[in-house]
Amino acid sequence: MFKQTTYSLQFILLLILLIVCLSINICLGSVAIPLADTFKIIFGSTLKESSSYYIIWEYRLPKAITAVMVGGGLSLSGLLMQTLFRNPLAGPYVLGISSGASLGAAILIMGTSLFSAVFSFSAFNDFTLAIASSLGSFLVLFLVLIVAAKVKDTMALLIIGLMFGSITAAIVSVLSYFTKAEKLQQYIFWSFGSLGNLSWLQLSIVALCTVVGITFSIVSIKPLNALLLGENYAKSLGIALKKSRYIIIVATGLLAGSITAFAGPIAFVGLAVPHITKQIFHTTDHKIQIPAVLICGAILMLLCDTIAQLPGYMSVLPINAITSIFGAPVVIWLLLRKRKMIF
Amino acid sequence: MKNRRITTMLKRLLFISYLLLLCGCKQEKKETIVNKTNTKSTLIKYANGFSIQNQSNGITIIRVLKPWANAKTTYTYALVPKELQASVTLNKNEYDAIISTPVEHIVVTSTTHIPALEELGALNQLIGFPDTKYISSTATRKLIDAGKIKELGVNESINTEAVLALQPDLIFGFAINGGNSTYETIQRANIPVVYNGDWVEETPLGKAEWIKFFAPFFNKTQKADAIFNNIETSYLEAKKLAAGAKSKPTVLSGAMYNDVWYLPGGKSWAANFLKDANALYLWKSTDENGSLSLSWESALDLGQHAEYWIGPAQFSTYQEMQDASEHYMRFDAFKKRKVFTTANTKGETGGTLYYELAPQRPDLVLKDLIHILHPGLLPNYTPYFFKPLL
Repeated sequence: MFKQTTYSLQFILLLILLIVCLSINICLGSVAIPLADTFKIIFGSTLKESSSYYIIWEYRLPKAITAVMVGGGLSLSGLLMQTLFRNPLAGPYVLGISSGASLGAAILIMGTSLFSAVFSFSAFNDFTLAIASSLGSFLVLFLVLIVAAKVKDTMALLIIGLMFGSITAAIVSVLSYFTKAEKLQQYIFWSFGSLGNLSWLQLSIVALCTVVGITFSIVSIKPLNALLLGENYAKSLGIALKKSRYIIIVATGLLAGSITAFAGPIAFVGLAVPHITKQIFHTTDHKIQIPAVLICGAILMLLCDTIAQLPGYMSVLPINAITSIFGAPVVIWLLLRKRKMIF
Repeated sequence: MKNRRITTMLKRLLFISYLLLLCGCKQEKKETIVNKTNTKSTLIKYANGFSIQNQSNGITIIRVLKPWANAKTTYTYALVPKELQASVTLNKNEYDAIISTPVEHIVVTSTTHIPALEELGALNQLIGFPDTKYISSTATRKLIDAGKIKELGVNESINTEAVLALQPDLIFGFAINGGNSTYETIQRANIPVVYNGDWVEETPLGKAEWIKFFAPFFNKTQKADAIFNNIETSYLEAKKLAAGAKSKPTVLSGAMYNDVWYLPGGKSWAANFLKDANALYLWKSTDENGSLSLSWESALDLGQHAEYWIGPAQFSTYQEMQDASEHYMRFDAFKKRKVFTTANTKGETGGTLYYELAPQRPDLVLKDLIHILHPGLLPNYTPYFFKPLL
């Protein structure tokens, strides 16, 4: 009973922090828009035709919402993977989802130089890129599901996921080697990740996938908690292990796949956030952890994006550089404290 | 015991330093032999990346001062006419390569080297090129089709075996930063590699002046001077014409990738053209000599009302730009159809002609820009590189 109230206090504080970070993220950018104008534009709109109006509505707001979904979605899929594989270093991309997406993007951007006789894409834009990388990640996911049906041991699945990653990375290297400098640059930029180029339509696609992914995760709370104690224990509790494993993998695929498709492979957030929330809440119960990682991930991503935008400067930093600066120390610290970890 | 060991060590050290001193003296002696000659420098007016000295003994010394951006190393090449080979001895250690001229078989590595060879009438000496599909020049394409110029692999990773099999007299290479390991292998096989730094040059006439760098290798110095003087005259006349224009239109450049806008810096080659064309490039006060990467917001903020949009990256049609990002439609230049690109001027095999020829012909680039930005000044001129978006 007492514990419950502490959690609700922590949740209330986190939600307040989320709203503060969201407001800061929308108010700050390279172009200085007065605070009063920002609120007028969002709530009353008296400046419909100005460039400030356009910047807020068509750039900063979608970017902030993207940051919330990317942070939350990736952190949740990281949590799912860490529980499924009982491995504190697993992340949303452990099954090769991002390598699959990278392969899709690489074939679209750089494949023309290799397969120009077979196909060539003249219409290279955000949407075709998203379709290509979704296809790539779902292809890998599909293979993983086939393998999941064949192997009983979850650890084998983890190794196979890593192998898929290596294979796709190798194909990407070959493509990179034979491509033009400009195309290679395009691909590298994609791999840096970006939150700021989603239209409202693309945003709604990601939102839909995120909602479905979260629903699947909520449905899986009981098997997830049982999995923490080991597969055999979970079986003895009467959990349908194979079915749960499918649901967890599909949820991760939807979350990580859709996010990677539109925002590129965003590093570290998915790996680091579940550990941060475990430190805050001191529990491994997924009923608490799922909402916690969603909120913490969103906060972290909003903070990273605010820093990456370098308010007041004309330049911007790639988002992945910032998330890694936050994420890497966490991972190092984890490895150093591995014995004391709450897992 | 200990003392004795120290004295023997000291003795050894002394002996070694004596030996080193001897070697040093020997080296110095050799240098004095070479430096006895009088030198005369070739006049280089605009380029900062190389110097040429003609010695009275017939040897030409070429120094590449900026092989890549912020380079700490310089390269020195000695060009010895074939008829002097028997009578001249040079110290190999003083030069990065000693080349007997005129060279007969060469390999170049960048399309920007092609126009200079073509102008000098040295195309027949070219026997290999990496990734020939990017070459647009029709004269060169004919030679490629006839099998006279061999394909040497892809990108800048030259196929070493193919080069060794060709056995050229030398390779004109370039390095983005620091040496290139592929070149080292080739040099070990006694094929000299000469670094060309034309791409580091920031001024339009500076880049074009690199034709003088190629000339001594083919004994065509006077021809190169004449060609460059024509280009210079034509460029300066166009610049003067632009200076008399009544208006100074505002110009936006570059395009977006993800939500980052990439555009030329205020001190870059592209920005220098806009300055000479008497246009107001909105980012002219930035100090970058390469490209800027700005947030999309700040590009919109400053560039929204620019009158012209010159060089929107790889885009060749308005539809393509719109498909890539709806944000482009917010810009006045886009709305008023004032976007001009070099992407629509391609060679037979898809290489962009601007990348190949523009460094050598800055006069054409400048006239293109004047024709676009000051419509009354060159009314009958047909643009060479910059065409309206389709």
